[in-house]
Amino acid sequence: MSLSPRTRPATGMIVAGLFVVVVLLALALAVAVGIDVAGALRAFASGSAASFFPPDAATSQGDEIRSLYDIVFIFAAVIFIAVEGLIIWTVVRYRRKPGDDDLPPQTHGNNLAEILWTVIPTVIVAYLFFISWQTLNSVDAVSEQPEMQVRATAGQFQWTFDYLADDGETIEYTQFLPTGENGGLFAPVGVPILMMLESPDVNHAFYVPRFLFKRDVIPGQTNQFEFTINESEAGQTMRGQCAELCGIGHRAMIFDVHALTQADFATWYDEVRASAQPSGGPPASLPPNATIIDIAAQNIQFDQRELEVPASQAFGINFVNQDNGIPHDVAISQDGSLKFNGDDLPTVGEISYQIGPLEPGTYDFLCTIHPTTMTGTLTVK
Amino acid sequence: MATTALHPAATGYRSGLYEWVTTTDHKKIGILYLLNSFFFFLLAGVLALGVRAELAIPGLQLVTDENLYNQLFTMHGTAMVFLFIIPILAGFGNYVVPLQIGAPDMAFPRINALSFWMLPLGGLLLFSGFLVGGAATAGWTSYPPLSEDRPLASTGPGQDLWITALILIGTSSILGGINFLVTIFKMRAPGLTLFRMPILVWTVLVTSVLVVMATPVITSALIMLFIDRNYGGAFFDPSRGGDPVLYQNIFWFYSHPAVYVMVLPAMGMISEILPVFSRKPLFGYKAFVFATAAIGALGFSVWAHHMFTTGSVYLPFFSLMTFLIAVPTGVKMFNWIFTMWRGKLTLATPLLFALGFLSMFLIGGINGAFSASVPVDFALHDTYWVVAHLHYVLFGGSVFGVFAGIYYWFPKMTGRMLGEGLGKFQFVLMFIGFNLTFFPMHMLGLSGMPRRIADYDAAAGWTDLNVAATIGGFLIAASMIPFLWNVFVSLRGGKVAGDDPWEANTLEWATTSPPPPYNFDRLPEIRSERPLFDLRHAKATPAATPPGPDRTQQLPPGH
Amino acid sequence: MTTETRSLTTEQSPVAGLAHDMRGGISNPVLGMILFITSEVMFFAGLFAAYFSIRAAADIWPPEEFGHAVQIFPLVGPATVLLIVSSLTCQLGVWAIRRDDRTGFIRNIGVTVVLGVVFLVMQAADYAILYSEGLTLSAGTYGTTYYTLTGFHGAHVFAGVVMLAVVLYRGLAGQFSSRHHDAVEATSLYWHFVDVVWIALFATLYILR
Repeated sequence: MSLSPRTRPATGMIVAGLFVVVVLLALALAVAVGIDVAGALRAFASGSAASFFPPDAATSQGDEIRSLYDIVFIFAAVIFIAVEGLIIWTVVRYRRKPGDDDLPPQTHGNNLAEILWTVIPTVIVAYLFFISWQTLNSVDAVSEQPEMQVRATAGQFQWTFDYLADDGETIEYTQFLPTGENGGLFAPVGVPILMMLESPDVNHAFYVPRFLFKRDVIPGQTNQFEFTINESEAGQTMRGQCAELCGIGHRAMIFDVHALTQADFATWYDEVRASAQPSGGPPASLPPNATIIDIAAQNIQFDQRELEVPASQAFGINFVNQDNGIPHDVAISQDGSLKFNGDDLPTVGEISYQIGPLEPGTYDFLCTIHPTTMTGTLTVK
Repeated sequence: MATTALHPAATGYRSGLYEWVTTTDHKKIGILYLLNSFFFFLLAGVLALGVRAELAIPGLQLVTDENLYNQLFTMHGTAMVFLFIIPILAGFGNYVVPLQIGAPDMAFPRINALSFWMLPLGGLLLFSGFLVGGAATAGWTSYPPLSEDRPLASTGPGQDLWITALILIGTSSILGGINFLVTIFKMRAPGLTLFRMPILVWTVLVTSVLVVMATPVITSALIMLFIDRNYGGAFFDPSRGGDPVLYQNIFWFYSHPAVYVMVLPAMGMISEILPVFSRKPLFGYKAFVFATAAIGALGFSVWAHHMFTTGSVYLPFFSLMTFLIAVPTGVKMFNWIFTMWRGKLTLATPLLFALGFLSMFLIGGINGAFSASVPVDFALHDTYWVVAHLHYVLFGGSVFGVFAGIYYWFPKMTGRMLGEGLGKFQFVLMFIGFNLTFFPMHMLGLSGMPRRIADYDAAAGWTDLNVAATIGGFLIAASMIPFLWNVFVSLRGGKVAGDDPWEANTLEWATTSPPPPYNFDRLPEIRSERPLFDLRHAKATPAATPPGPDRTQQLPPGH
Repeated sequence: MTTETRSLTTEQSPVAGLAHDMRGGISNPVLGMILFITSEVMFFAGLFAAYFSIRAAADIWPPEEFGHAVQIFPLVGPATVLLIVSSLTCQLGVWAIRRDDRTGFIRNIGVTVVLGVVFLVMQAADYAILYSEGLTLSAGTYGTTYYTLTGFHGAHVFAGVVMLAVVLYRGLAGQFSSRHHDAVEATSLYWHFVDVVWIALFATLYILR
């Protein structure tokens, strides 16, 4: 051995010393940069973002997944402590003493040991597989007659939720705003909800951390899953986010999930359906001196942010889509409910909308396909 | 240079740049692999620093354009996998395997050279994407439809350059794999039966089987994507009868065995180092060989565990196979530990990195088991949990193994020892930096932070952990400084190594450091997997097995 | 010896006549070729997997507009027969050189090269017919898979023809004998592989459909 054990200080001490030095340096650096080290340590201990466990589950399926996680975690912790402990013990106990040039016993192996540490782990993983399989069957189960059906359409880069009638096809209400107090998925607690996932463009994934669940959204196929929000979650708002890289807007593809009591949900559902006007409903023709607005969409933006039309008069919008292969439309809403929803242009093209008279006030105009990035103010007076 | 009756006027050994560019000597080619791969390690590492710098706090600071961020992590992953870890392990194999089997070179030296030179060319192709309007942005996995030529997806030549670069690099890999297999099967010294081969040779053998059988499958996926992008193909276009999930299946059919390509040779290197620094043989040699073969075989049956959330996979089968592959991995872990048990450990730098490998790979294996459980994977897939897992096995595992190998074989390659003080300092810095970077990612993934996002909400509560991870990332980068300084100083004036500075067991230490071009003047008798140990301790141990048949008598007279 | 300008190839090198290591088994180049063929089989496996997967998901396959275009006669069926015959002539060439019948070897390899070229020409002519009937690479999944599979096979046939031509050239230059003809063995294995893949393709595209 090129290191002469006789003359060098104990290697282990050097290594341990270096560890201490580096850790202290890192802590000093962290404090110097302004990080709240104490706060972070407290957060770690209390189990907030820095926790060994997922957040408390909001659905019954999530609860089952959490129980499974807890079991796997126990096995993982025990195995880690045992094996890592063995490694550390071995290193400490069997260090070569300076000047000791004798060979240790040259053990080549032990068949019994090999059998034991093949069979026992096999039993362990077989058990883990079995309980995982049981949980999977329960989590993936879908009712024969779903009580409520919602379709989530994931496009680049926002979520739209269609509330469907019992036939699973007819759209009763479209929630085009993904976030905010008027946006996102409103859902009743305690009701099994069938969620169907579709995408018109690239792969996305529907992920709600508090559901402990995600499912990919793949163009050309409709994935579906069922979830039931726990009663205790009524009144809570949860975050959801796209979890499959989908391009330059991936980080912003966020949606809210608002859990309501069944009564509150029924109230909300009736309200939003009542205030949403059916799309189009144009006057037969515009009067000769009606206002016509020209507006264009390019690079997923409108070319104007402020529009103005006279009140109580029908008016028109000439809309030009300049984005090749990207659908756009123009819609008008007020306080989150649609007053006008124009047909969309799937690619480059032009369309003329005719819109019935509006009461004076401030409205939003938007593209329902890109409601968070393509929006502006329509003043009616 | 000795002359022979065949070539009385053979010229002297060429030197300098011309020699290095035209060499077919496996030792020089091995070193070229190491140098090229390390360059891409540093380059891809810088890209990762860009990612970490952006993610430290909420808000887009460095990267105002998410398109650039997507290029950063795409190219980081792609370069690390295809231009660093796979080739650097091939480089170690190139240098060490012929020496360990007592052969004068690889079976096909010119193809060996070709395999190497395809790599810098592939790297150039890949990174030239940055010069032509943007490199690939669809992740190293490059799923269609995002990787197709469509609006808001992957228009522009960056993705096509990515495809062609990978086809070139994959071909290099396949040729290398063929070379290793023929060399190992056909060119072992007399007496070196299969079950006396060093474990590194076994792991390179199994790795090469995986390379030869799996890499062509990703070539087919890449070609299909190229045809979709450039010739109106419909493989992955659902509007015309194609299927995006088809790509995922074909891609992962290669890319899962590929992760064993990325770790098995590193495990082989650890299996050389632990016995030497414990002064005992590897515990359970045969079990080790069978476990390696089992991992290779099982590795072909688990690919869809990367696709549990697609809704298109037969979940129980892939979950079961994934759980099962933990068993041979565990066998290896215990065999390594019991190699050290009751040994006499010298805590030199190669052993420190080997210990780092054991501990970090243990964590990586354990957190992988969480993902094997399908319902748990529903929560963890595509979050930072997976980023933690893959870095614990690939960095904590393979990269620590690579550094163990560098410190162990640098004396053989250069004739000089690397400094122990700087080596230990690098180890500590890297170990702490690595864990500080990637351990918090378990928590981030659990709390819901998805992968591949350029930015996140301050309200999500992820900031502190991200800051920690960023500091750790820069610590890892800092650990390269003592390492590079160590290499620089040691090359010029490091302690002279001699033939066998570590008192090692295998044949590469039975020749000079560095070896002559033809590798060996004479070979010791080979009676076990530790021929040098046997030579040194002829009285301490009886011959492990009787020597193999003396094949020299089979040659006709006059040879 | 050092004043020779002709390069020292296997059969003409001074050591060619000496006995050397006769450890059993196949030669390194042949083992290398077998492994290479293994990798190529896996490449085609990926393409076949794509084909069968897309086919299984389709309601009607081949799609109505193309079902009639893909026909065994007049070109593809005879081309298949010629390719199979070329495998036979190739093997006859290998057997010839193994018993040092250099004339027979040259003749058979020459015929093999010609047959290979004829196959490529017939394939190209078939492509022209299909194109005129509207089956192109971008004609949906059927066109994409058809041309990708047959096109890459054709590329492999082309590579095989080049290898055979090199073997033919080296044979004419007297570089092969019964003792040294590894390149012939390896090339013949590759040619047989190309033939087997074609039989699988033919069965898949033209018979199974």
